[in-house]
Amino acid sequence: MKYSKDSIICLPETGFEPKVRSEMEPPLVIETESLSKSFGKQKALDGLNLKVSAGAIGLLGPNGAGKSTFMKCLLQLQPITSGSAKLLGREVGKEGREIRKRVGYTPEQDCHIPGMVGCEYVTYCAELCGLPFQVARQRAHEMLDFVGMGQERYRKVDTYSTGMKQRLKLAQAIVHDPEIVFLDEPTNGLDPKGQAQILELVHSLWRTFGISVVVSSHLLHDVDRICEQIIIIARGKVLVHDTLENLKSRKRGAAEVVVADRHSELRQACLQRQWACELLPNGHLKVEHKAESLNPLLQLLHDLKLAPLEIIPSPNALEETFVQALEISHAAA
Amino acid sequence: MPLHDASYKHWDGVHVGVWGRRMAIARNGLTACLQNKFTRQLVMVCWITSLLASSVLFFVGQLLVADSFVVLWMENLNPQLQAFARLLSTWLEQHPEISVRTTQNVFFYYYSVYLMRFSIFALGMAIPLLITGDLASNAIVIYSSKAVSRGDYLLGKFATAFGLLALTWFGPVFAAWLMGNMLAPDWRFFWHSRVAIGHVFLFGLSSMFFLSLLALGVSSISSKQKTTTALWFIWWILGGVLTPIAMQTKPWLRHLSFNFNLDQIALAVFNIGEDIRLAQDNIPILGEMLRGIRARTMEALTNPATGGSVIALVLMAGAAMWFIHKKVKPE
Repeated sequence: MKYSKDSIICLPETGFEPKVRSEMEPPLVIETESLSKSFGKQKALDGLNLKVSAGAIGLLGPNGAGKSTFMKCLLQLQPITSGSAKLLGREVGKEGREIRKRVGYTPEQDCHIPGMVGCEYVTYCAELCGLPFQVARQRAHEMLDFVGMGQERYRKVDTYSTGMKQRLKLAQAIVHDPEIVFLDEPTNGLDPKGQAQILELVHSLWRTFGISVVVSSHLLHDVDRICEQIIIIARGKVLVHDTLENLKSRKRGAAEVVVADRHSELRQACLQRQWACELLPNGHLKVEHKAESLNPLLQLLHDLKLAPLEIIPSPNALEETFVQALEISHAAA
Repeated sequence: MPLHDASYKHWDGVHVGVWGRRMAIARNGLTACLQNKFTRQLVMVCWITSLLASSVLFFVGQLLVADSFVVLWMENLNPQLQAFARLLSTWLEQHPEISVRTTQNVFFYYYSVYLMRFSIFALGMAIPLLITGDLASNAIVIYSSKAVSRGDYLLGKFATAFGLLALTWFGPVFAAWLMGNMLAPDWRFFWHSRVAIGHVFLFGLSSMFFLSLLALGVSSISSKQKTTTALWFIWWILGGVLTPIAMQTKPWLRHLSFNFNLDQIALAVFNIGEDIRLAQDNIPILGEMLRGIRARTMEALTNPATGGSVIALVLMAGAAMWFIHKKVKPE
């Protein structure tokens, strides 16, 4: 895979304009043109222009930004007010069944079918996507294994914990082997361990099995962990659409260094070079080395004969980009 | 942890068509209905009545067989019943094409109309499982995100209601006709009863269509299961209670009851008044017995309010579709 190296931040007026694309780029999965959605006088989506390639895509934005509406419009759960959209190369609104046959969706809220046990529910969802019953039942069990559900699958869904419901939602979304999966706040209500497990599963969908994922979240950390492309939406407009790598490269100049000991010695050396240095509550040292690469920092560590346990480049790049984009949006509004 | 390979596997098999998906919805709905113990018992009762009905037809058929146990048994009955049995027997022998048609038409009219009550009850029990439950649990979002359209979903749910009615009503009636005539002494009974079974099909299928649509409409009114169930039963029972009262005051009010409308359609389809007249003419003793029927009742049997009932049912179906259109949406 190869993405454009140009980083793109779009002001609301201009919209997203894709820059130079390489021949090696993966196919487009989402294409929108002036996509708008209104609820009465309120505009939830305001002329979205996007061209998104296959991959792990993070859809970021504050609450009420229009992330869920964007997903629902693509899945035709909400009718589009104006503009057009293509999902997997097919026109949204014209080929509903065909599109949804190749798409998975986990909604934010609970939406199971009352009275069903877990494996029946997933089997039924597979049948709704057109899998023959025997195949549906087999795949339901395979997917429940994949998401790590054991004997709980034979219990009624109504009795499931939040974590189990999230796993079940993921299983029903991928049971028919979709090409793209939309995940709306997939880690909502989960404890840190549960979050990590779900994110790991989602991550593997693209990395290992080649299924594109679109993760909508207001939690930057989740998106940072698993996504390669970032779309930031606020007030119904796309503020940023770029690869995470590009976003981080623009924010280079800071890093978090994890060392086992000699924190004060390293801090002192950084300050001598007039690099701002801060000891974080988690024991990491945040160093603003102001350089495009990590070489000066590595040189310093070498000079000090200090072997770092870990170096995290641009640790807050996404957060800073997010805040910056929102500030631009507010200023423009 | 599973002992076998728990990694993700791709699938590239052949998808079933859209009708397969609709039928999956119907099958799932019907399975959910039959998970209710009371509904299962109701279905069983309906099929027991079917056995009883075919037994009755068997007994009627045995009247044609000389020295059959039915004839011998009737010899021991009181003189009036003996005479009736002999006349019926003679009529069956002399004009089987008319007598079989008439007796079975009358019989299947009453059987259809009374079994319809059971099926309306069963439908009332299924109301929360049709659309209400999906609205309450947001399952409608899951349906909408799969490879089925809103129309497919509604067709599947319609087929659920239709299937339940077939199980509690049409199935038992048809089975009674089939078994009753298979046990008849003459295969020609099938041919002679073709009009009766034709009426069963016409009335049964059209009523099942309307009832299924009305059930879907009521089921989509609210996401509260108690509300929709109560609405169905109140509409049904209140309609039954108010019909005789409305008859005395404002007859058009009777058409607010779907049950009354279906009864009128049944009368029109089976043309029961004509059959009773024919039976009275051919079996004089029956004429004597039925002479007590008041003229008003006879008038009601021969002149049902068909037009008003059809209009009322169409309007009810329209209202049901409006509710479905308004309420069955993902958000």
